[in-house]
Amino acid sequence: MNLYEMSAAMLARKLRNKECSSQEITQSVLGRIQAVEGQVGAYITLTPEQALETAKQVDKRLAAGEKLAPLAGIPIGIKDNICTKDVVTTCASKMLHNFVPPYSAYVVRQVERAGMPILGKLNMDEFAMGSSCENSHYKKTKNPRDLTRVPGGSSGGSAAAVTAGEAILALGSDTGGSIRQPAAYCGTVGLKPTYGSVSRYGLVAFASSLDQIGPLGRTVEDVAMLYSLISGYDPKDATSVNRTYTDFVAGLNDFQVNGLKIGIPKEYFGDGVDQEIKEKVLAAIKLLEKNGAEVKEISLPSTDYALSAYYIIACAEASSNLARFDGVKYGYRSGKGEGLTEMYEYTRREGFGDEVKRRIMLGTFVLSSGYIDAYYKKAKATQAIIADEFRAAFEQVDLIMTPTAPDTAFRIGERSADPLKMYLSDICTVTVNIAGLPALSVPCGEIGRGLPVGLQMIAPHFGEDLLFKAAHYYEKISGLRLADVAAL
Amino acid sequence: MEIDVMKIARLSRIKVTEDELAHFQKEMQNMINMVEKLPDIPVASLAPDKDHPMGLRKDEIQRSLRRDEVLQNAPETEAGCFVVPNVMD
Amino acid sequence: MEYEMIVGLEVHAELSTHSKIYCGCKNAFGGEVNSQCCEICTGLPGTLPSLNEKVVEYAIKMGHALGCTINPVTKQDRKNYFYPDLPKAYQISQYDLPLCEQGHLDVLVEDEVKRIGITRIHIEEDAGKLLHDESFSGSLVDFNRCGVPLIEIVSEPDFRSSKEAKAYLEALKQILIYLDISDGKMQEGSIRCDVNVSVREKGSDIFGTRVEMKNVNTFSGAVRAIEYEAARQIEVLESGGTISQETRRWDDSKGVNVLLRSKEDAMDYRYFPEPDLGAIVVSEALIRQMKDALPELPNKKTMRYMREFELPSFDAGLLVENRDKARFFEACTAIGGCSPKNIANWILGDITRILRENKQELPESCITPEKLVDMVARIEKGEISNAAGKTIVEVLLAEDKDVAQIVEEKGLGQISDSSALEDLAREVLAANEKAVEQYRGGKTNVLGFLVGQCMKASKGKGNPALLREIMLKLIEE
Repeated sequence: MNLYEMSAAMLARKLRNKECSSQEITQSVLGRIQAVEGQVGAYITLTPEQALETAKQVDKRLAAGEKLAPLAGIPIGIKDNICTKDVVTTCASKMLHNFVPPYSAYVVRQVERAGMPILGKLNMDEFAMGSSCENSHYKKTKNPRDLTRVPGGSSGGSAAAVTAGEAILALGSDTGGSIRQPAAYCGTVGLKPTYGSVSRYGLVAFASSLDQIGPLGRTVEDVAMLYSLISGYDPKDATSVNRTYTDFVAGLNDFQVNGLKIGIPKEYFGDGVDQEIKEKVLAAIKLLEKNGAEVKEISLPSTDYALSAYYIIACAEASSNLARFDGVKYGYRSGKGEGLTEMYEYTRREGFGDEVKRRIMLGTFVLSSGYIDAYYKKAKATQAIIADEFRAAFEQVDLIMTPTAPDTAFRIGERSADPLKMYLSDICTVTVNIAGLPALSVPCGEIGRGLPVGLQMIAPHFGEDLLFKAAHYYEKISGLRLADVAAL
Repeated sequence: MEIDVMKIARLSRIKVTEDELAHFQKEMQNMINMVEKLPDIPVASLAPDKDHPMGLRKDEIQRSLRRDEVLQNAPETEAGCFVVPNVMD
Repeated sequence: MEYEMIVGLEVHAELSTHSKIYCGCKNAFGGEVNSQCCEICTGLPGTLPSLNEKVVEYAIKMGHALGCTINPVTKQDRKNYFYPDLPKAYQISQYDLPLCEQGHLDVLVEDEVKRIGITRIHIEEDAGKLLHDESFSGSLVDFNRCGVPLIEIVSEPDFRSSKEAKAYLEALKQILIYLDISDGKMQEGSIRCDVNVSVREKGSDIFGTRVEMKNVNTFSGAVRAIEYEAARQIEVLESGGTISQETRRWDDSKGVNVLLRSKEDAMDYRYFPEPDLGAIVVSEALIRQMKDALPELPNKKTMRYMREFELPSFDAGLLVENRDKARFFEACTAIGGCSPKNIANWILGDITRILRENKQELPESCITPEKLVDMVARIEKGEISNAAGKTIVEVLLAEDKDVAQIVEEKGLGQISDSSALEDLAREVLAANEKAVEQYRGGKTNVLGFLVGQCMKASKGKGNPALLREIMLKLIEE
């Protein structure tokens, strides 16, 4: 087995046992990138020299007998909406084609402190708006399981890189499903953490009250390791929750499935979801039941309104967050037009892609005078109801399980003509962001010609511990070769 | 619900030409139709949550960026400042 | 037709915290352009605000000073608009839930007290600065000022004259300085003012349409702007026109205002709660603690000086204006033993003059309240003359000596011994028979000359009042 195919946990053990070096691991992954990146297109920017330099330093310190962080020496890719000092950070947009941040995000500093070589910046839908990675200004990433299909989005590059062996681990971001849905489409593991458990400082904001940075990896244990590193209180993020964040890896196997109460909300198994996907997901839940879990049908009636509430809130916040892209201080500036107003208007016309412009305008509309009550304030009230329904449900069950996506990876170009159809990919995931809950997607099988299906597990706030344990347990009993790198 | 796309475009500072208007109008209309699906409940008050007070920062000076760092991404600079087309104050 | 003007003021004051409101950059005026900035206050992508606790404290202090209700739970909101000096294209401010509400300020306007209602005080961030010059290739933007903390103080439309407005602005500035929350330096932009003006027929209780004026940068400019706008509106109405709700820009150098925004162009700020910040919760204990710690405020102090010490309003105002002088004055009156009016006169007269000449502040000098009281008491008792006082006070300021020392060293003791003075007076009378005859003949002002001669003979030490008395008595004999 090549080093690039191994899990982070495995590689960390090998490093500690001096069976290999970080430079070897990094070289292996870089070699893989060289071999397949032409087909996959997961990266916007590669930083091999910096990665190897970090690996070299880690090897030195290991040789000197230093005790390093658990993930030291494990190469990682970072979604390109997370600021990396001195490395161009584009958000896959023409608007930021040359933006070099003078500072790094909190999570990047954590990753650097741990000694993880950063391989490069991963492709995404422009400003995290999209579900297919087709809205990138630079390239369309391909799904490594089937190169004619999308990897999902907006963290398409992150999921594809991990699946293709072009990174051992990756960081993505999730506002309405942008980590989970690509994880499901590519057949890998992704976590959208509890809102406030991972600092957003340095994440280019899309929807401030919904965004979270999260880990992707090929196994639940790997994802738990990365989450342990990036979660924590950051005073620079006022929405970051100040509490004790434990290690999530040590007790992974310390789990009793007996008596685990699983809720299956009927609204997530309706007509909007592929029949075969429903079957695969229910089969996975049945397997857990066979081993001792209790399964209960529950109802989250306001799920029907979730997509509306989500798009109103997300676009409203986005319209404000993206207003700073005006050609004055950084990024693209149009040469067209006369005077200040036209400079703004042409810069934003030319710098933003169509989907971004649509969402900004919708957001402006729902906040505008005369409409804010009917749209934005109504949506916020709906948000409260959705959150309440989850709270009530968690009084009855420990975890809620649903399909991650209503479909499998569609063909490139198939949906791009109809934005509304694209939005429907989010129906199983947006409620989680609306309620601020943690949710994990773990592969639970394939349908058709090897198209992965994701099982979504949702826990109460700060319930990542239970998520990891249950999902890790599922990995073990499923008998699926889930952690395999895609053949390319 | 007929929306004034030109007005919204102006508010958003995004140039939309007359011949693009119909296309944008249709797209916006579709999106609005989708998001209008909301329950018949009273609107939110948007009041702050007193049970979750925000932590405040101590009034201490921290390191600023150097001027060259502040300006490093600027499309146009002059005399240590960002340049924009002339504005009457 | 007689009209009256109705004016409301929105004052923005920069708070003198060490760091900016949402980041740790230095909060100071006059730095080199773009040298006091970070990724947060220049609105770089990915950055988040972090609220400075001192800003909340200072705002609450001001709220107490203006008798406001403090809201223990508030939030911040985004005010969205595009302008080059606003890097995020939104200003973090407070919309419908300000930190302080419903207060008042009692202001002295030509010796009468007028109560001005305060609608609200809220916290927000300042924007950067635009620089213009023909030699520049465009407008230049400096973000140093971006993120400087501001409180916005909104008054009720209670002003009925520009005089009232000016008095209010002066009083507000004094309070800011007294509370040590702002340096109040208008020339550095620490205080700025937007003015709302409307007019109506005198006697009517219906409000006219209000026009907002921006770019008012000095207190006297505010007076000019108000007078101009009121007159402009009256002229419009007299010629049969109507006033439209608009925003106008005041140009102080030209003494006129021009239309900036009509109602139709009115900005839609799309206010919504700032999602990057949480609830601002202030405990009742802290609110009470800050109220108890409030010093006596300048306008109250002025009125107290007028009442308790019978000082004229002008003098009281001058003393209060300078905190060191006020403190010194109060220390003197606490010691007692002489007239507060005289103390005040010495402080405001010779002491102020000498300090100004030496470019000194009162605490930097050697004088103490005890010494000044000592001197004034002696003058009141007649032990030394007023003229001697002028010499003494100069030394008191410059050197660490006490009054008795100086009197002795300079031989300034005033002769108030009647018998000694009588002898002196008789000598002068004897030497000036012609003058005495003139006096007896009706030229009464010759007395002054005769007293002057006595003073000369006594080398200035004679008690002039006493001498006058004695002279009169002797002449009449």
